[in-house]
Amino acid sequence: MKFNGKDITELLALNRRNFIKFMVGGAAGTALSPIPWKLADDVAIFSQNFPWVPVPPVGEFLYEKSVCTLCQGGCGIEVRKVDSRAVKIEGRNDYPVNPGGICPVGMGGLQILYDEGIRFTGPMKRVGPRGSGHYQNITWKEAISILTNRLVSLRSRGELASLAIVDGNPKGSTLSAMVERFGTAIGTPNYLRPQNADDTYRMAAGLMIGNNGPAAYDIENSDFILSFGSGLLEGWGSPGRVINAWGQWRKEGPQTRNIRIVQVESRASNTASKSDQWVAAIPGTETALALGLAHVIIKESLFDAKFIEEYSFGFNDWISEDGREHHGFKRIILEKYSPEKAAAITGVNKDDIVSLARDFASAKAPIALCGKGKGSLNGSLYEYMAIIALNSLVGSINRPGGLLVRDTLPLADLPDFVPDEIARKGLEAPRLDKAGSFKYPFAQSVLMNFSQAILEKSKSPIDTLLLFSANPAYTEPDGGAFSEAMKKIPFIVSFSPYRDESSVMADLVLPDHTYLEKMDDIIWPYGLQYPLYGLTQPVVDPVYDTRNTGNVIISLAKEMDGSVKAAFPWKRYEDVLKQRAKGLFESGKGLTRYKGSLPAWEQMRQGKEIKPDYDDFNKMWRNLKRGGLWYQPEFKYNNWDGVFRTVTGKFEFYSKQIEAVSKAMVLSDLGIHAHGDEAFMPHYESAHHSGEGTHYPLRMVPYEIINLANDRFPNPPYLKKTLFDNQLRKDESFVEINPKTAAEYGLKQGDRAYMLFSKGKVTVRVNLFHGAMPGVVYMLSGLGHEAYDDFSKGIGLNTNRIIQAGRDPLSGLPVWWETPVKLTKIY
Amino acid sequence: MENQEHSSGRAPKEGWVMAIIHLILSYYSNLITNPFKSGLAYFAVGLIGVLFVGWILFPLALYSHHQQPVDFSHAIHMDPDIVDGIEGDTDQEKCLYCHEFRDDGTFAGIPRLEKCTECHDDPEMPWGEDPREEQFLIEYVADEIEIPWYVYSRQPDCVYFSHIAHVKMGELECRTCHGDHHLTETLPAYKENRISGYSINIWGNNILGYKQNTWDRMKMDDCAECHSEKGHEENNACFVCHK
Repeated sequence: MKFNGKDITELLALNRRNFIKFMVGGAAGTALSPIPWKLADDVAIFSQNFPWVPVPPVGEFLYEKSVCTLCQGGCGIEVRKVDSRAVKIEGRNDYPVNPGGICPVGMGGLQILYDEGIRFTGPMKRVGPRGSGHYQNITWKEAISILTNRLVSLRSRGELASLAIVDGNPKGSTLSAMVERFGTAIGTPNYLRPQNADDTYRMAAGLMIGNNGPAAYDIENSDFILSFGSGLLEGWGSPGRVINAWGQWRKEGPQTRNIRIVQVESRASNTASKSDQWVAAIPGTETALALGLAHVIIKESLFDAKFIEEYSFGFNDWISEDGREHHGFKRIILEKYSPEKAAAITGVNKDDIVSLARDFASAKAPIALCGKGKGSLNGSLYEYMAIIALNSLVGSINRPGGLLVRDTLPLADLPDFVPDEIARKGLEAPRLDKAGSFKYPFAQSVLMNFSQAILEKSKSPIDTLLLFSANPAYTEPDGGAFSEAMKKIPFIVSFSPYRDESSVMADLVLPDHTYLEKMDDIIWPYGLQYPLYGLTQPVVDPVYDTRNTGNVIISLAKEMDGSVKAAFPWKRYEDVLKQRAKGLFESGKGLTRYKGSLPAWEQMRQGKEIKPDYDDFNKMWRNLKRGGLWYQPEFKYNNWDGVFRTVTGKFEFYSKQIEAVSKAMVLSDLGIHAHGDEAFMPHYESAHHSGEGTHYPLRMVPYEIINLANDRFPNPPYLKKTLFDNQLRKDESFVEINPKTAAEYGLKQGDRAYMLFSKGKVTVRVNLFHGAMPGVVYMLSGLGHEAYDDFSKGIGLNTNRIIQAGRDPLSGLPVWWETPVKLTKIY
Repeated sequence: MENQEHSSGRAPKEGWVMAIIHLILSYYSNLITNPFKSGLAYFAVGLIGVLFVGWILFPLALYSHHQQPVDFSHAIHMDPDIVDGIEGDTDQEKCLYCHEFRDDGTFAGIPRLEKCTECHDDPEMPWGEDPREEQFLIEYVADEIEIPWYVYSRQPDCVYFSHIAHVKMGELECRTCHGDHHLTETLPAYKENRISGYSINIWGNNILGYKQNTWDRMKMDDCAECHSEKGHEENNACFVCHK
C-alpha cells in the first residue's frame, strides 16, 4: 500500500521492534495506573469473603430463654439471636438444674435446627424406594387426610391389633400422654416405648420400694459416690448438673470437702480416669460386685441396723403365713457372695472389695448410682435392684446425699374418656411385644419381641406403624432387627422432624417442629433430687413448614369419629400443657424463678419452707412461659413412714411382686436361673451365650462420650470434629483393645481387622489402649448413621447394628453390654 | 597507520563531551522527528491507552450501580415545615430519632419498616403527593415487607465498630463521618465493588484514595488518623476493632 508515494508499512514502521515498544508502553502504563494495586487489594478481600465463610448476621441482639430437650437432662438454655436468626446456645445461670453450663450436644443444637439436609421441610409422601429419602411435598391437609383414612379404615375393619405406635417422647411428658391417649382412643394395644435407664430404675424401685417415681439421686449432698458405670462426665443424667456437681466435689479452698468418687467400669472412661478409685469389674458382673460389697457390709455389721430392722422386709430369715421357712437376704448374701466369690466373678481384687465396702459403709452420706454410660439404654433389672439394696443397707434411702424416694410430678390428669366399642375390642387384643404378659410381667415395652414377631411371620402382623419422636431403626440395640422388621410393615408414618433412619423408611411424614421452635414440657430431668417441670419456648419461628405434633394429633382426632374425637376436646396443644400444669399450681408449693444465690439442692438440704412466687394460676403460667421453670426444692429427709408402697409396706429385699408372678410362671421362663428365695431378691445371673464362647472369645462393649449424640437426635456436624483420630479416621471406626489382647491377635496400632459376630462382620481399625480390659473390645457409640446428611451418613459404625443382644432376666430387655465377637487381622 | 591510531584511539581532547550530547540529541531528534520509525509513537499509544483505561474506564467498570429500593428524601423528612413528626432540637437529635440506639446501646443503623410505619401507617393514605411515597406504601407498607436497603457505610464483617462509643463518649456529630447526608433530596446509587463486594464508600470515591472530607473514605488508616488527632492513640491497637 502506498501513501504519498511511500510504502505505508515502511512509513509507520510496523515491525516487531515497535510492537514490543507498544507493549512496553502498555506495561509501563499499567504500573502507573491503579489497576494492579486496586485489583490485588480487591482480590485479597474477595478471598476473605467466600460464600461458605460463616458470617454473623447483622441486626438486633436478643436473648430467649428456653429448656434443652436433646436428652432427658432438661438443662436451661439461653439462645442468642440476631433479629430472627438464632446464633448461639448457652447455658442459663438462672436455671437450677445446670448453673450456667450445657453439654456439647446442647451447644450444637442450632446445627440441627437450620440444616435442611437432616430435616424434613414439610409434610411429605414417599416416592422413591424405602430408605432412599426421595419424597414429594404434599399439603398438611392432604397428609392428615391420608393418615385419618388409613386409621378410620383400620377401625372399621376392626384390625386394630395391626396398628402399632412407637413413642420416643420422655415418659410422663404431655406429648407422650397425648400419643398414648391417641392410641387408646383409636384402640391399639401396641403402644411401645424404647426403654432407657430410667425405665429400668422405675421397674427396680417398683419392686423394692413400691413407688413408681423417678430416680432422685441427691449427689450434691453426698460425700461418697459409688457409680456403677454411670458416665458422670459422659453425659449421664443432666450433663450440666452432674458436671457442676463434680466441680462442687472437687472444689479446692477452705470449703474443701473430703469427697470420694469410685467408678465401677471395665474401661478407663473419663469418669473412671478422674475418679479417686477405678474398679474394673468384668462387664455384666456389676451385680456380683454390689452383692460382694453387701456381703462385707453385712458380715462386719456396717449396715444401718435401725433402718433395716424397722423399715425393711426379707433381710433376716422369716416364716411366711403358709408356714414355709424363708432364707433372708442376709443369709443368702453371706452364703453366696463372699469377697472371694465376688472377686472370682468380677475379676476385682478381693481386698479391694473388702476395703471399698468398709469405706462406702463408713462414709457419712454415701450413695450408689445405677446406670451404664449416659443412661439412654436400659439397664439390668437385678443389677439395679442390687444397687438399690446397697443404698438401703448403708441407710442412704431418704437421707441427705442419698437415694430419695419421690412421687411423680403433681401434674393434673387429662380428663377421662371412655373408649368406644371398636377401641375397647382393639385394646383387649394381646400386645405383639408381649409386655405385661406372664412372661414379661414388669416391662412396659419390649421392642425386641415386637421386631422378632414381625420377622418370624411371612406377612407382617403390623399393617401400620406410627413413629413419634423415635428412631428405633438406629437406637435399638438389636443388631438391626427393628430396621429389618420395618421393611416388612406395609405403611409407616413418621412424625419426626429429622430425616433419621426410621423416618426415611416412612411412607408418610408429618414433621414436628424441633425443640427450638415449639412449646413443650420436660418432666423431671433424669436423676434430679427435686421435682422440676421445664417448659420449652419457641425461640425462633418455625424454619420450615412443620407443625407441632401435639396440634397434629388434635387435628387428626377432629377428622375421626367415636371416642377419638371425644378424647381430644382441645383447640391446640398449648391448652393441654396448661391444663396439666394446673396440677402443679394445685400442689400448693413451687417456685418459678431461680436466682442462683442458693442452689436448689442446698435449699432443700437446709429444709427451708417454700412460699410460692405466684399468687394465682395465670401468674404461674405466665412465669412458666417466661422462665420455663417450675420446681419444688423441698424434701422431708429421714422420713420413712408411708414411703414404701410395697405389699409389706416396707423396703423389700424380697420382692413380693416377683413372688406373685412366679406363681403363674416357671422362673426359668423369665430368664431366672436362681432357685428358691434368691430369685425374688437381687442376685447375680451369669450371662448365657449358648456355646458361642469358643467361636467368639472377645466381648464387644459400646461406650458413650459427652461430645457425640447417640440417641434419637441427629449429631450436630461440628461435634464430629471433636473426635480423636483414634476414634474415627475418615469413615472408619476404631475399636479400643488392650495391648495384651492385641498381641494375642497380632494386631498393632492402626491395623485393620474384621470384627466377626454371629450375624456378620465389619471392618474396624484398632486402637491400643491400656485402659481397656483385656478380652474386651470397646466401640464408640453414636456413629454409623445410614440417614441424615453427608456429615453423618456412612461415617463409622453403629454399635447397635453389631450388638447381638441377650435377654436380661425378669425384665426381658436387651443385654446390650456384652456381644461375643472375634477379631481377625486384615493383611 | 598513524592516522588510524589517532582516530580509533583517544577522542579529541575538547570533543568527547560534546560528542555524547550530539549523539543523544541526534537520537532524540530522531525520536521526535521520526516517531514511527523510532517507535516512540507506539510506546506512547501503549502507555496512554492503558493509563486511560486504568484511570478512567477501570474505576467505572469496577463498581456495579444499584438504585436504592425506595428513593427516600432526607431533606423532606428533616424539614420541620413539611414533616413535623421527627422530634429533636438539633440535626443530630433528629438523626437519632430514626437512626436510633437500642436499649442495650447497640446502634440500629438503617431503621426498620416499623419505624417508617409509625407515621406511614396506612398504605392507602399517603402524607404527600410524591409518587415515591406512593410506591413505598404499595410495595412495602401494604405487605409489611422490610425494605432491602443498601448500606453505604457498612464496614466489613471483621471490623467491630461501635457507634455509641463515637457519638456519646467521643461526642462526634453524625455529619463528621457521614457528611451532609441529611440534606439530600434523593439517595445516591449504591456502588458495589464487583470483586470484593464492598461499598465504594469504604475505599473511597477516588480511586487513588485521595480524600478531602472525612466521609470520602472509611478505611483503617482513616480511623487511626482521627484517633491520633483526637489523642486516642491507644484505640489504634489491633484488637480494638478486629475482635
